[in-house]
Amino acid sequence: MKKVFLIIVAFSLFTACKNDEKNKETSTEDKAQKEQVVNLYTHRHYKPDQNIIEMFEKETGITVKVTNASADELIQKMKMEGKQSPADVLITVDAGRLHRAKEQGLLQSIKSEKLENRIPSHLQDSDNQWFGITKRARIIAYAKDRVSPEELSTYEDLTSEKWNDKILVRSSSNIYNQSLMASIIANNGEEEAKEWAKGIVNNMARTPKGSDRDQVKAVVAGEGDLAIVNSYYIGKMLNSPDSEEVETAKKIDLFFPNQDGRGTHVNVSGAGVTKYAPNKENAIRFIEFLVSDKAQKEFTTANYEFPVVETVEPVEDIKAWGEFKEDTLSLTKLGENNKKAVLLFDEAGWK
Amino acid sequence: MLTIQSLSKSYDKGKNNALDNVSIHLNAGDVCAIVGESGSGKTTLVRLIAGLERPDEGSISLNGKVIASVKKFVQPEKRKIGLVFQEYALFPHLTISENILYGISKLKNKKKRAQEMLDLVGLSDLGKRYPHQLSGGQQQRVALARALAPEPSLLILDEPFSNLDAMLRMQLRNEVFDIIKKTGVTVLFVTHDTQDALSVADEIMILQNGKVIQKDAAANLYVKPNTLYVASLFGNTVQINKNLQSAFKCPLNENCCHAIRNEKFKVFPTQEGADPKSIDECDYITKAEVIKKVVLGDSIQLLLKLESGEQLSVMTKDSNVADFIYIGFNSKDILEFSEEN
Amino acid sequence: MKPAGNNKKLSISTKVNRLLRDTNRWSVFTLAIVLFLALPILFISVELFAGPGESWDHILDYLLPEYIANSLYLILFCSILVLIFGVSTAWFVSRFNFPLRKQMEWLLILPLAIPSYIVGYAYAGIFDYGGSLALLLRELNLDFIRIDVMNKAGLVFVLSISLFPYVYVSARAFFLNQANNLLEASKMLGVGETKSFFKLMLPLSRPAIVAGLVLVLMEVLNDYGAAKYYGVNTFTTGIFRSWFSLEEPQTAVYLSAILVVIIFALILFEKWQVRKMKFNSTKTNNTQLARRQMRGTKKWLIFSVVFLPVFLGFILPVAQLLYWATLTASTVFNLDFILLSLQSFGIAISAAVITVLFALLLIYFSKWSALHFIKNTARIGVLGYAIPGAVIAIGIMLPTLAVDKWLIKVLAQIGIDSGLLINGTLIALFYAYAVRFLAVAYNPIDSTALKVSESIPDSSKVLGVGPLKTFRKIEFPLIKTGVFSAVILVFIDVMKELPLTLILKPYHIDTLAVKAFEYASDEMVMEASIPSLFIIFTAMIPVIFLNKLLINK
Repeated sequence: MKKVFLIIVAFSLFTACKNDEKNKETSTEDKAQKEQVVNLYTHRHYKPDQNIIEMFEKETGITVKVTNASADELIQKMKMEGKQSPADVLITVDAGRLHRAKEQGLLQSIKSEKLENRIPSHLQDSDNQWFGITKRARIIAYAKDRVSPEELSTYEDLTSEKWNDKILVRSSSNIYNQSLMASIIANNGEEEAKEWAKGIVNNMARTPKGSDRDQVKAVVAGEGDLAIVNSYYIGKMLNSPDSEEVETAKKIDLFFPNQDGRGTHVNVSGAGVTKYAPNKENAIRFIEFLVSDKAQKEFTTANYEFPVVETVEPVEDIKAWGEFKEDTLSLTKLGENNKKAVLLFDEAGWK
Repeated sequence: MLTIQSLSKSYDKGKNNALDNVSIHLNAGDVCAIVGESGSGKTTLVRLIAGLERPDEGSISLNGKVIASVKKFVQPEKRKIGLVFQEYALFPHLTISENILYGISKLKNKKKRAQEMLDLVGLSDLGKRYPHQLSGGQQQRVALARALAPEPSLLILDEPFSNLDAMLRMQLRNEVFDIIKKTGVTVLFVTHDTQDALSVADEIMILQNGKVIQKDAAANLYVKPNTLYVASLFGNTVQINKNLQSAFKCPLNENCCHAIRNEKFKVFPTQEGADPKSIDECDYITKAEVIKKVVLGDSIQLLLKLESGEQLSVMTKDSNVADFIYIGFNSKDILEFSEEN
Repeated sequence: MKPAGNNKKLSISTKVNRLLRDTNRWSVFTLAIVLFLALPILFISVELFAGPGESWDHILDYLLPEYIANSLYLILFCSILVLIFGVSTAWFVSRFNFPLRKQMEWLLILPLAIPSYIVGYAYAGIFDYGGSLALLLRELNLDFIRIDVMNKAGLVFVLSISLFPYVYVSARAFFLNQANNLLEASKMLGVGETKSFFKLMLPLSRPAIVAGLVLVLMEVLNDYGAAKYYGVNTFTTGIFRSWFSLEEPQTAVYLSAILVVIIFALILFEKWQVRKMKFNSTKTNNTQLARRQMRGTKKWLIFSVVFLPVFLGFILPVAQLLYWATLTASTVFNLDFILLSLQSFGIAISAAVITVLFALLLIYFSKWSALHFIKNTARIGVLGYAIPGAVIAIGIMLPTLAVDKWLIKVLAQIGIDSGLLINGTLIALFYAYAVRFLAVAYNPIDSTALKVSESIPDSSKVLGVGPLKTFRKIEFPLIKTGVFSAVILVFIDVMKELPLTLILKPYHIDTLAVKAFEYASDEMVMEASIPSLFIIFTAMIPVIFLNKLLINK
């Protein structure tokens, strides 16, 4: 027993140290021999991202070293590392965080015609410091049996009397909610945004909790009639390994709000080259690869996100929801208004 | 050999002194006992000498070298002092032999020495046992053997018999000191029990509230105690206060404190109108009523009520005691202490 | 009395002389270690002088009352539940013989192996719409009554059921080692079993129980994952919110400071408890508690009381995870996964050994130091446990980066071009683990060390053996079980640790907890089940090992 235990310990220590060594060696080597690498700080930890990285490595011979953490933590880390930061590329799951990184001088402007041309202008930074790589919409999931789509119209309409005790939405600490709020501040002004948040709080079927998927389940369970959710979670539920979850997702339908006005709120996962990127060229190549047709296809087929380029069609499940008009508000605004959004949420009592 | 000069130690930043200006001198080969109640500072003194505490003031020197002072401190492991703890403190995970070998690991013939020590304390065959397999008395002897093995110049015994019952205590006390006498080591023996001290020590020191209040040969302490406290340590003592003085009609020096040992009272268990001749044997005498009798084996404890109303408890061997008796004492038996104590 | 006056008039030179006399290398070492471990905390506290961020008033107005209310709610009800689970099981296991008792002894520790937030996800999954309970009821043709666990009460349950083993472990240690004579005495006085327990054993074991409870409460206050998922706002969620959502690290530091004050109060409370109870720990009695053989219905009753927390805290969540694992095994599981598990294991075991080493150094160096104030500073080293992992990570990065930058400069002068030498390597990670988990290692070692009578090491010293050898030959063998328990507890905590690891881990090194979190944070709870199960199984190995060790003793 003791011996087996010791052998396991020894072996696992060995693997841990070996990996650490390997990592150190390469990081000193790439200074000397310019071995091709790109260091990636990313908030995305989805399976398709790994596939895309592998494709990139195979195609270019550039090694991608990944550090996973939440965008906020990565930004703090980069700030502290300063000039010594090994990061070349920062990827976040919303535009607000990228804007924050830009504001704090962590990103740099890059020249890439490929990126500028392929990505719609409202989905990229005006100074070319960051670029959207995939797109998600914040939409309304409703119970097929209790709500007809005619009753739905806009985000603003959700505060009306008829939805009292009917709305399900997650916590205000969630970045997607913060971005939605930021877009409402940008479109309608602070005052109205606060009133809107209060109205939603009034109409909530329960205290915010759980994930987007939980909101959908709660709609089907009858706790409320509507849920404000991210589009790609519905795609994931429809393809879940758990047949119960698939059944649940089939019991709701989706509504894209504000089609007659400014369009549905969208957000992006985006990437930017860092200020002190040691491997700038590779970094640009990597981001360009992310918006290539191959990569975009992988994003949409495996993660049910909307492509940011027109040359790639969304995956079948998403296409079935139909075309929709999206809010073309510059995503920079989401970053600018993010903090205000959080403060207004608190004031409105949105937990 | 051991010289302690005006040693002080406090555990609460000087508010109360556990040890207060204590000076002691010990000659080689002495067996000296330190007697005091718990809280008198005797354990502190032991720990200071052994190097387990550091003095606030004063100094300790051993064999002419200062081992502790305000400026200097010799680590306990460098002092070569043997110490037997109250709870023996045998290492529970080591055998008896290993326990004894522990302090002499650098010795060449350590195995032989360890066996000698085992033989000395009469536990020759128990070397392979563990401490918890031994009786209290055996553990005590192991602790002694362990402390003696490195041939310390000074051996300190800290309440070595307090965990034992009375019979075993007496037997072990004699055994232990027989062993010690064979080695000729200088001994500092700390106890709260005067019987222990009287039976083995050449010299006794009385510690009270961190101060040495008397230091004398064993016999003198009984005859000439410095204070009422010392007197009462060596047997029941009654203070002859104003009331008793008037009861026995014996006016004494007002500036002093007086007492008499319980056993010095003379009891005349006669009927009323007892023989005045025998009463004349006493310098002071009075009549008393017996309130209560308690038979304690061959002697009887009497609770008396004197004519003056004072109550007094005395012992007598005479089983034939009437309800009213006479009680008295002689002036040579009166102990006199200066008032301030 | 003269002496008091005398002492006050002690000349300064005497005091200086004494200070010089009593300063030894151990004092210096102790201070160095305390400083080293407190460095991150110091760096964070310096931030306090900068004042809170501009949203501080906003937080006071809208959020703080709720944070305080919720945190107090959690403290109160988690304490109650944890005490019920922890003490009852510890008592039954040490006092009675019933079916499967030996197995129960170590099964009761296993809930610790599951990160609380995973237990939270599992329970949400069980009671969810379309969850396991619903499926089961449908199979049985029963109506589904939906129980909502995702609320404050649910959070209390989840945290308690996954953390009660801290109390169980320390209470059981007390019952096993110290209780027998006292219990016998009580019975001789004609006091019955139940009354003996409540009147005697419970008050006597209070220091041990409170020590475990303080650990639980620190974990409760530090919980982020479960509280966030269940929609309960606490100090820790508030710290994350003000740091990340409001972009005000200073405000986050302020909130952490309040949290640290609460935790510090808890620690002081524990100290005060122990001091009050000191009289009963002076003489320890090492006879084992005699177990009573239970028969008939009683034995099954006791079995169920002990089995219930095992079932709720381990079997049920693991069953749910296993169910999810069968659904996702094909997409998640592969050979890399085994390597990843070994890596996690290696990191956790090394971190545990390093942390325990620090705890031992701190405890014994401060013991050997003759200066009194040094002995008290040692406790500062354990404060790290009260601070959220993410905040500690920042506290580690600040000083280590400064050292790194200095090193880069120095090395550049002699012509060596180096990158960051401490940050982004295992050194920084292990440093952080040591700071964070010192308390976990410190407490079991300290409490076993307290049981060793002072006169044991003293007599070794008097026999001419120095402190280091005394430690090696005498003290270590006597506190071995405490040391091993400490290693295992830290090991389990490191296996589960998340925020620190996320921020400080080197590239290409992953841990199971990181993997599980990656899935869970993206609402792929089902996919998170396999890494979670691996955490559990890896953590089980040393738990069983520890129990063997304890029994052999």
